[in-house]
Amino acid sequence: MGKYIGIRLGHALVILAIVVVLVFIIARIIPGDAIMAAMAGSVDLHDPSVVERVRHQYGLDQSIPVQFVVWLAAFLRGDWGTSIGTGQKVLDMFVQRLPVTLELFLGANLWAIAIGIPAGILGAVKRNSAADVAVTAGAIIGVSIPAFWEAILLIYLFAVLLPIFPPSGYVPFSENPLLNLRAMVLPTFVLGTHAGGLIARYVRSSLLEVLGQDYVRTARAKGFSEAAVVARHALKPGMIPVVTVFGLFWGGLLAGAFLVEVVFAIPGLGRMSVDAIFQKDYAVMQAMLIVVSLNVLLVNLLVDILYGYLDPRVRVRG
Amino acid sequence: MDHDHDLDRREFTVGFLTASFAALALRPTVADAATESPSPAVLDQPWAVWDKNAKPVRGGIFRLTREQYIGKMNPNHWPVLDWVSMGYFHERLMMNDGRYNSTVLWLAEKLSWESPQEVIMTLREGVTFHDGSPFNAKSVKYQIDWIRDPASKTWDANWLAQLDTVEVVDDRTLRWKFKAPWAGFNGVMANVPGYVMSAKALQDDVDKYDSQPQGTGPYVLEEASPGNYLKLKRNPNWWFAKASGNPDMPYFDGILVTIIPDPAVRLANLRAGQLDALVLEKSQYAVAKTDPELNVYRFPGNHLAALRFNNTKSVFQDIRLRKAVSHAIDRQALIAGTQFGLARLASCMYPDDHWCHNPNLKPVTYDPDLSKKLLSEAGYGGGLTVKGYFSNTTMSQTIAEAVKGMLAQVGIDWQVELLAPAAATSRIQKMDYDLAQGGWIFIYDPDLMPTGLYYPDGGFNFGRSKNDAAIALIEAGRKEIDREKRRAIYWQLEEVLYNSYEDAWLWWEETATAFRKQVQGWNQEGFLKYQDAWFWSHPLWFKDGKA
Repeated sequence: MGKYIGIRLGHALVILAIVVVLVFIIARIIPGDAIMAAMAGSVDLHDPSVVERVRHQYGLDQSIPVQFVVWLAAFLRGDWGTSIGTGQKVLDMFVQRLPVTLELFLGANLWAIAIGIPAGILGAVKRNSAADVAVTAGAIIGVSIPAFWEAILLIYLFAVLLPIFPPSGYVPFSENPLLNLRAMVLPTFVLGTHAGGLIARYVRSSLLEVLGQDYVRTARAKGFSEAAVVARHALKPGMIPVVTVFGLFWGGLLAGAFLVEVVFAIPGLGRMSVDAIFQKDYAVMQAMLIVVSLNVLLVNLLVDILYGYLDPRVRVRG
Repeated sequence: MDHDHDLDRREFTVGFLTASFAALALRPTVADAATESPSPAVLDQPWAVWDKNAKPVRGGIFRLTREQYIGKMNPNHWPVLDWVSMGYFHERLMMNDGRYNSTVLWLAEKLSWESPQEVIMTLREGVTFHDGSPFNAKSVKYQIDWIRDPASKTWDANWLAQLDTVEVVDDRTLRWKFKAPWAGFNGVMANVPGYVMSAKALQDDVDKYDSQPQGTGPYVLEEASPGNYLKLKRNPNWWFAKASGNPDMPYFDGILVTIIPDPAVRLANLRAGQLDALVLEKSQYAVAKTDPELNVYRFPGNHLAALRFNNTKSVFQDIRLRKAVSHAIDRQALIAGTQFGLARLASCMYPDDHWCHNPNLKPVTYDPDLSKKLLSEAGYGGGLTVKGYFSNTTMSQTIAEAVKGMLAQVGIDWQVELLAPAAATSRIQKMDYDLAQGGWIFIYDPDLMPTGLYYPDGGFNFGRSKNDAAIALIEAGRKEIDREKRRAIYWQLEEVLYNSYEDAWLWWEETATAFRKQVQGWNQEGFLKYQDAWFWSHPLWFKDGKA
C-alpha cells in the first residue's frame, strides 16, 4: 500500500510542477493590460503615467521570465503577491475566504448525499416503479438546471415572495450561527442539487448491477430481508463507482461554487476567482489555479487510495 | 385681602428671582452654545438651505450595496473601486457644483487667486480627524508633500505635476505656488488629491491607513470585511453638523455597505427589505417605479457614451466616412432600445448640464441617405468593411449589435469583436481598430476628458487623433483661470471637434436610484441643482429613526 501511495504522490507532484509553469504563462499571454482596464473603470485616465506608476508598483513592467522567477521565489516563501483588484495580500485573501467556501462545500455535500444516496437506493430497489421514474426525472432536472437560474428563482421564491431566507450575503458562523445557517441554506442547496442528481444516478445504476450478483441472490435465499440485503451486502460494493465519480465531480462542484458565490454574494474563493479572471488579476489567478489543481490532484489521490482500500486488486495492479 | 395680595406679589417676586438666578446659572451653557454657533462661511452658500418643516430623526443603520469592495481606503493608493463609500469618511477641500464646476468650498473656506500661479487657501476651523488630530495647514501640507513623494507609491502624484510648492502661512492658511498658470487647480482639489487625510495617521503607519482611514467625514470606519461589507458608524464630532447649525447630523447611527455582485440579487435584496437604497440597472427602472414600497428618482450622470474613430491609421482619416458613420446611427432608437430611455442625446463631449457644454451644437441627425451619399463620394458606394471592438458586457453587446445593424443598413460592415475590458486595452494601445467603443466616465474639470482623448500623450489617445486646432485649445484651456474665458475656450474646442466629426458622440448618461419609503429627506430639485454640494450637506434619515 505504501508503494502504491508513493507512486501516486510522485505523479501528482510532477503534474503540479507543469501546472505552475503553464498557469503563469497562460495568465501572461492573454492579451490586455489589466492595470489599465481596472483603472479605466474607476478613475479618469487622462494621464497615462498613472497606469505606468501602478504597473511598476506591481512589478508588471518586468520581462515575463523575471516576473516568473520573482513570483515563484516569493510564492514558495509564502508570499503569494498582492491583488491588483483589492490591494490585499493574496494569501490573506485566501485564508479569509477558504473557510467560507469550505462551509459551502460541506453544506453542498451534505445536501448531495442526503438527496442523492437515498434517492439512488430508492430508484434501484423500486426499479421501474413510479418512485423510480420520479427519482430519475428529479436527478435529470437536478443535473440539467442551470445553477444561475435555479439560484435566482429560489431567491425570488424564498427571499422576496416568501421571506424565509435572506436573498444573499454571508455571516460567519462564529458571529451568528443562526444567521449563518439561514444564509447558507439556499446556496448550499443550489450547489448540492447538481451533485445530488449525479449521485442518485450513479448510486442507482451501481446498485442495480450489484443487486443482480450471485452473492446477493444467495443472501436473499438465506432469508435476509431486502433492507438487510441492500444495507449489508449491496451498498458497500455498490458505492465503489460512486467514490470514483465523486473525485470527478469534485471539480464540477468547484466550478458550480464559482457561480453560486457570485449570485449569493458569498465572499468565498469562487467569487474571488471570478473577479480575478475578469480583472486579469494575475497574482490571484495564479494562486487559485495552483490551489484548484492541487485540490483536484489531492482528491483524485485520495480516491485512488480509497479505491485501493475498497478493492485490494487495484493495489496489486497499481 | 390685602395681605393675600401682598403674599401673591411676594411669591411672584421670589419665583421671578429664583428663575433669574437659574438663568444666570445656566449662562455658561448658553455661552458655550454661542461659541458653537453655525458658521456664516457655510450658511452663506446657496445650497445651505434646509427644510424647516422637516423633522429629521436620529437613528437606524442605512443599508446600501456596491458591486465591488472599496479596495484600499487611502484614496492615493491603488486600487480604489468605490468612491461613494470613500466620501463617507474622507472629505475634500473643494467640491463640484451642479454644473460639475469645482466652485464649492468645503474644507477649504476661502480661495484667493493672487496671480495665475499663486493661490492663498484658508481652511475651515473647528475640524478634527477621526483620530482626534487637528485639520490644519500643516496637516494638508504634509499630505500634499506625501502624495508627491515617489516613495509613497501614490498613483495620482502626477495630478500635482503643476504644483511648485505649498507653504504654511499660519495654522489655517496655505500658499500654493504653481510652475505655470494652472486653471485645473480647483478641479484637482475637488478630486482625488483633495481628499484630506490625517497627517498623524500617515506618519504613524502609512500601510495601516489603507485599511484604517482617518478622515474628517460624517462616518467613521467601524469594521471592514474585504469582499463582504463595510460597517461605518456615525461621527458625533462632524464639523459640518456644528458649522451648519444642525447638531444632530448625520442622522443615521451607521451605514452598512454590503457587496453584492449580481444586479438581480441587489434588486431582490431591496424588495425583500434588506437594503434601503439602490442605484438601479436601467432594465430595473420600470419595475422599481411601480413598486409601492419605493421612491425612485432619475438623475443625469456625467458619463459619455460614444464611438471612437481611429483617425490617423485607418479609413477614418477621411472625414466623409466619419460623417457617414455618425449620420447612420439613430441615437434616439439606441437610447430607447438599449438604455430603456435613460440617457440624453449627446451633441458633443460635455453633458448639457456641464458648465462647459456648448449649447449651440445639436446632436448629429440620423440621416442614412446622407450616409450612403457620403460613402459613395468617398469611393465606398459598393460597401465598406471596418473592424473594431466593444465590451463584452450584456448591455454593451446589445449596443454593439444595434449599431452594427444600423451601419449595415447604409452599407458598412462593422466586424466588431466583443472583448473583456483587459483585452480591449490591448487594441486601444496598438490602435488595432477602425471603429470602437469610446466615451468617458466622470466628467468634471473640462481639461481631463479632451486631454485623455485628443491630446497627443493623453491616456486614451495613443496617436489615434491628431487635431492641431483641438490640441492648441486644450493647451489654452489649461492656462486660462478666468472662468468665462475658459468656458469660451471649451465651447470653441467642442465646435472644432464637432465640425471634424472627431468621434461619434451618442448619449450622456442618466441613472436612477430607488429609496425605500422609510428613507426621508431627499429633495430631487436640490440635488439636481447642486449635486455633490447638496448630497453631502443634506444627510438623509429614517422616518421614526428606524429602517
